[in-house]
Amino acid sequence: MSYLQRSIERGPLAFGLCALMVCVSPAVANETIKLGLSVPLSGAAANWGKGGEWLCKQAAQEIAKGGGVKVAGKVYDFECVAYDNKYNAADGTKVAQTLLTRDNVKFIGGSLGTAPVRALQSMSERDGVLLFTTAWGKAIKGPKFPLTFTQMNTVYEISKPLLGFVKQSNPNVKTVALLNPNDATGQDVEAADRANWEALGVKVVSSDWYERGTTEFQPIAAKIAALRPDAVDLGAAPPPDAGFVFKELKALSWNGVKVITVGSGAEGVLATGQDAADGTYMGAAMTFDSPATSAKQKSLNDGVKTATGESVNAIQIGFYDSVYALKAAMEKAQSVEPKQVAAALPTVTFDGFYGKSAFGGVAMYGSPQQILVPVIVSQLKGGKLAELQRIAPDEMKGR
Amino acid sequence: MQVALQILLTALQIGAIYVLFSLGLTLIFGVMRVVNFAHGQFFTLAALLVAVLDPWLATKGFDGPLAYLVSVLAGIAASVALGAVVYRFGFRRFQRDLTGSFILSVGLVLLCEGAFLDLFGGAVRVVPPIVRGDVQLIGVTIAAQRLVLAGVAIAATAVLYWILATTRFGKAMRAVAIDHEAALLQGIPCERIAFQGFLIATTLGAIAGAIIAPISAVTPVLGADYLVKGFIAVIIGGLGSVPGAILGSLFIALIESAGGFFFDPSIANMAIFVLVMIVLMVRPKGLLGHG
Repeated sequence: MSYLQRSIERGPLAFGLCALMVCVSPAVANETIKLGLSVPLSGAAANWGKGGEWLCKQAAQEIAKGGGVKVAGKVYDFECVAYDNKYNAADGTKVAQTLLTRDNVKFIGGSLGTAPVRALQSMSERDGVLLFTTAWGKAIKGPKFPLTFTQMNTVYEISKPLLGFVKQSNPNVKTVALLNPNDATGQDVEAADRANWEALGVKVVSSDWYERGTTEFQPIAAKIAALRPDAVDLGAAPPPDAGFVFKELKALSWNGVKVITVGSGAEGVLATGQDAADGTYMGAAMTFDSPATSAKQKSLNDGVKTATGESVNAIQIGFYDSVYALKAAMEKAQSVEPKQVAAALPTVTFDGFYGKSAFGGVAMYGSPQQILVPVIVSQLKGGKLAELQRIAPDEMKGR
Repeated sequence: MQVALQILLTALQIGAIYVLFSLGLTLIFGVMRVVNFAHGQFFTLAALLVAVLDPWLATKGFDGPLAYLVSVLAGIAASVALGAVVYRFGFRRFQRDLTGSFILSVGLVLLCEGAFLDLFGGAVRVVPPIVRGDVQLIGVTIAAQRLVLAGVAIAATAVLYWILATTRFGKAMRAVAIDHEAALLQGIPCERIAFQGFLIATTLGAIAGAIIAPISAVTPVLGADYLVKGFIAVIIGGLGSVPGAILGSLFIALIESAGGFFFDPSIANMAIFVLVMIVLMVRPKGLLGHG
C-alpha cells in the first residue's frame, strides 16, 4: 500500500480525532488585563498596601466569576500585579519603570503615597496609562492630567467635615498642635488641616514634621506636651506612628483632644498607643459592627483581616472600587484603550464597596477625577472604633 | 530647668540604645578593620524574633516578663548564630579589607532585608508592654518601661567596658585593635580574637534590638535608622574607639532630643548630618579617634 493510499484511508480518522479534540478541549480562555499596583509592602504603611492588593485581587476574582468584562465581543479578566514602593519617591520610580516598561501595563489599579505616585504619574500620563491613586494632592489632578483618578476620599473631602465635627463636639478646643510626616502626603494634609482649624477659630500653636521610618517620638512628644495644646492633630501619620505619639504624650501627662485627620487603621493606632489612643477621632477608618454594614462589606473586611491582621480601611477600599469602576467604564466605552476608558469613567456609576459610587469633583479640581463616596467620622472608644457620622457627597444625589 | 531635665533624660534613654548599637560597630572595626553595614540586621533579627515570640509565648501561658525574657534570649541566640555564619563564610576572608568588606556587608543588608521581609512580612509588629505605668524622676515624668530598658542598656555597656578594661580577653582584644601585627608577635591568637569580638559585637546589636522592641514599631527595616545613627556616632567619636562610640552616641541623642524639642524631628536629623560634616572637617579621625 502506497503512502498516498494510506493517507487517504486514514485521513477521515485523523480529521475525526482532531474534531473530537476541539470539542472536548476547554473553552478559549478570557484575555487578561493587568492592573498594576504601586503600594508600600514594607514599613509602617505595609498593611495599607497588602490590604489594597488583596482587595484588588478579590474584585478581579468576583468580576471573573460574574462573567468577566465584556467589550466588543471579547471577554476580559483582570490580574492585579503589586510592587513595593516603600512609600518613597525613589522606590516609586523603580516601581513605575517596572510596571510601565517591563510589565507593559495600561491600567494602574491603585497607587499609594503622594511622593511615589508623582513619580508614577510623570510616566503614566506621558505613556497613555490610566492611573488610579489614593494620593490626594490637588497638584496631581485637573485637566492637565486626564488619565489620573483618585480612588478614595482625600483630605479635601475629609478634613472640613471631620474637624467641624470635632470642634462642635469639643467647643473648648482653642489651640491645636499639628504633626505630619515630612513628605508630599503630609504637606498636603497639613495645609488643608491648618486652613480648616483656623477657619473654625482654633489657633495652630505648632506644626512639626518627622521623617517616615522615625523610631523615636519622645522628643517631639515632649515639645508638644510642653505647649499644652487643647488638641493634637496627627494628620497623615500612619496608624502605628500615631499610636506611639499618643503613648508618649500620655506618659508626659498630656490629655487633650486627639485627631488623626486621615486616620484609617484603628487596630494599628491601638496596637502601639493602647489606652493612650482612646478618644481619637479618625476620618478615614471604618467600623463593621453597625447595622448599616452590608454582608458584602463584612465579608471583604474578614478577607482583609485574614490577609493583614487589621480591619479594612478607606485607603484599601479604593483598590476594590477602582476595579469595578474600570469594568463599568470599559463596558460603557466598549474599549480597553486607556484614553477611551478614562473618557467614559466620569459618566458611569458602579456598585463599589460603599454601594452606588461614581466619579465627580469638577468644582474642586476642575475635572471629574475624584471618587464620590461617603466621609465616615469615627472615634476610638474603649478599645473599639465607633462610627459617629456618615456624610454622603452632595454630588451623588443626582446620579 | 524642667525642660532641660526633660531633654537630658530623653537623650539618656535614646542614647543608651545608640551606645549599645554603636559599640558593636566600633568593636568590629577595632578588631577586624572592617565597617560592617550589616550590623543593623543582627539588631533587626533580634527585635523581629522578640516581636513574634513574645505574643506567641503569652498565648501559651507564659506571663509577661517571662515571655519577654525567653523571646529576648531566643532573639539574641538567633542573631549570634547568624553572626557566626556571616563571619565564618564572609567577614573572615575580608579582614582589613575595607572595599571587600563594604561590598560584602551591603550585599548582606540586601539579602537579610529580603529574607526578613519574606519570613516576617512587612507589617509593623508590636510587643506588649513589659512594665506599665509612669515614674516621676526629679520632677520629670518618664514611662517606667523606658527607664527599665535604658537601665538594661547601661548595664550591658558597663559589663562590656569592664571586660575590655580588666579581663585577659579584653586586653587581648584591645591589643589587636591597637596593633594587629604586634599582637601577633606577642602570641595573641588574632583570628580567634577577631571571631570572638565579632560575636560580642553581634550580641550587643542583638541586645539593643531586643530592648528596643517593646518601645518601637518593629519592621524588617527597623535597623536602617539605627545603622545610620550608630554609624554617625562612631564617626563622630572615632572609628574603633569605645569611649568615642559612647560619647558620639550620647551626643547624637542629645541633638535628637533637643532638636526635636526646640525645632522638629526632621530638623534634628539634618542637624546630626551637619554635625558629622563639621566634625570630619575639624577632626577627620573623630573626637577620640587616633587610628
